Amino acid sequence: MPNLYSMLWRSGAGISLNKNSSPSGLLFFGDDFKMPMEYDAIVVGAGPAGSAAALVMAQNNMSVLLLERGLYPGAKNMFGGTIYRQPTEELIPAFWKEAPLERPVVTDELWLMEKDSAVKIGFTGFKFAKPPYNKFTALRVNFDSWLAKKAENSGARLMTKALVKDLVFEKIGIAGRKVSGVVLEDGEQIKSDLVIIAEGASGSLAEKAGLRSKITPDDVVLYVKEILELPASKIEDRFNLEKDEGARFGMIGYPVSGAIGKGGIFTNKNSLSLMVGLYLNQIIYKRLNPCSLMQNFKEHPLIKRLIADAKPLEFQAHILPKGGYEQIPKLSAPGVMVAGDAAMMISGRRGTDLAMLTGKFAGETAVQAKSAGDFSEKILSFYDKKVRTSFFMKDIAAGKGSKKYYERHPDADFLLSKIANESAYKYFEVDLMPFSAKLDSIISEIANFQSLSKSLSDIYYGYLHWGVF
Amino acid sequence: MNKLINTKKDPIDMVEIKVDGISHISIKNNKLCEKHCESRPCTYYCPTGVFHWDEKNRRIEVLYARCVECLACPFGCPSGNIDWHYPSGNAGVVYKYG
Repeated sequence: MPNLYSMLWRSGAGISLNKNSSPSGLLFFGDDFKMPMEYDAIVVGAGPAGSAAALVMAQNNMSVLLLERGLYPGAKNMFGGTIYRQPTEELIPAFWKEAPLERPVVTDELWLMEKDSAVKIGFTGFKFAKPPYNKFTALRVNFDSWLAKKAENSGARLMTKALVKDLVFEKIGIAGRKVSGVVLEDGEQIKSDLVIIAEGASGSLAEKAGLRSKITPDDVVLYVKEILELPASKIEDRFNLEKDEGARFGMIGYPVSGAIGKGGIFTNKNSLSLMVGLYLNQIIYKRLNPCSLMQNFKEHPLIKRLIADAKPLEFQAHILPKGGYEQIPKLSAPGVMVAGDAAMMISGRRGTDLAMLTGKFAGETAVQAKSAGDFSEKILSFYDKKVRTSFFMKDIAAGKGSKKYYERHPDADFLLSKIANESAYKYFEVDLMPFSAKLDSIISEIANFQSLSKSLSDIYYGYLHWGVF
Repeated sequence: MNKLINTKKDPIDMVEIKVDGISHISIKNNKLCEKHCESRPCTYYCPTGVFHWDEKNRRIEVLYARCVECLACPFGCPSGNIDWHYPSGNAGVVYKYG
């Protein structure tokens, strides 16, 4: 970037790129004059993807403007998950020493849940309670604010309450175009060599940049979540934890009324996060109301005792674009890259970490582009390549089959959960039958329910779909 | 009416929303809801009950002040009849925990 022009620009000389200014004023410099630009890069969205990209670019001496539509970073965000240590360390080594995290997770459980019972599969490992840990529960407002602050401390400029309405395009050649800035809601234009779109699930700017495929209700999971305040000592008693240990339980079957989706409960320091999420097309088809599902979930005897006396602090809802491999759009075009949820970077439970990783990749590519002085598709497509050869893209690709499977068998989780609980009831019931006869009767009951091969394939796809729960 | 009404607690009481003077949600074509949409899924999939069928005026009533910007509505409407934009940068949901 020509520094002189940039200085002129900053000092307010030249022209103001304001909706009220006459566009003809721009011609003063001549058509082929490279417009002085305020920033090397503008990042739209200060979530994990955007802040990661801004951080990497700012660390490499690029001038970066980070735009956030919320009152502060995280004000519009929710997640149903945990912060994973290894992927996050790719961005900030030993982040756990300073980041606002809740509890390191030592216990993971998956419950196949029915009306008055649950079959539980789980693991507790105390290695995960010690540095360098495995993953952490977190509150997004704290975490996102912290990550954006990291970018700011490295030199990025954060602007909150800044809603981007549109992109600025400049013509290249006869039919080509390049993104060269953003338009805020008051019409003000801010110019940059590069824009990184990390706007989240809506994808409206990505769509304007031609980097979004069509999304239907079967690509979307809708989550509702409640944060419930509970003293740490009660959390530790109820979840069998010590101080500075956390647990995370996921549930299929009952919480989502037998649809494909999941309930979950996470332990924070002094609160619990409770959530229910399922595919939007199934909500529509089965005529479900997400809040009624949450209410039923909270009234389940196994949940009720975990959340007893907890005080509701906050209600949240958000979609997750879980379209899978086919829905991953092209990730770059001249002057623009798209990262995180806006790029449909979701694999099973992973989303926040993939957002940070794609943000980092986009930031690194921007640094390369800046040093080459070239923001064309040719350079920016390195970002596409980085993402497409990443480990998580292999997982997203592997998830292709399971999405199709659940489209064909939307009741798979329900059946699995039902069979598991009925068999368990029989198995654990002390009766007056010889044990061998009891096993035979359980097996024949399972076979009566549905073919054994279907049950096995439900388990197989359940395993693929839910990964490590 | 939305089932939400029957639940004990209105989720909206548990979240801060700075209400804007103008709606960021609108129905593109009211006739479509009236004549061609049997189940009107927006009236039950919206977690905070933004959409209600107004029998008297034969149209969907949009209570935009209840919106927590979950983004389900534009993707969930079977005929793509919901026009949804982000509320202004100064408005909308303000999560304290996230």
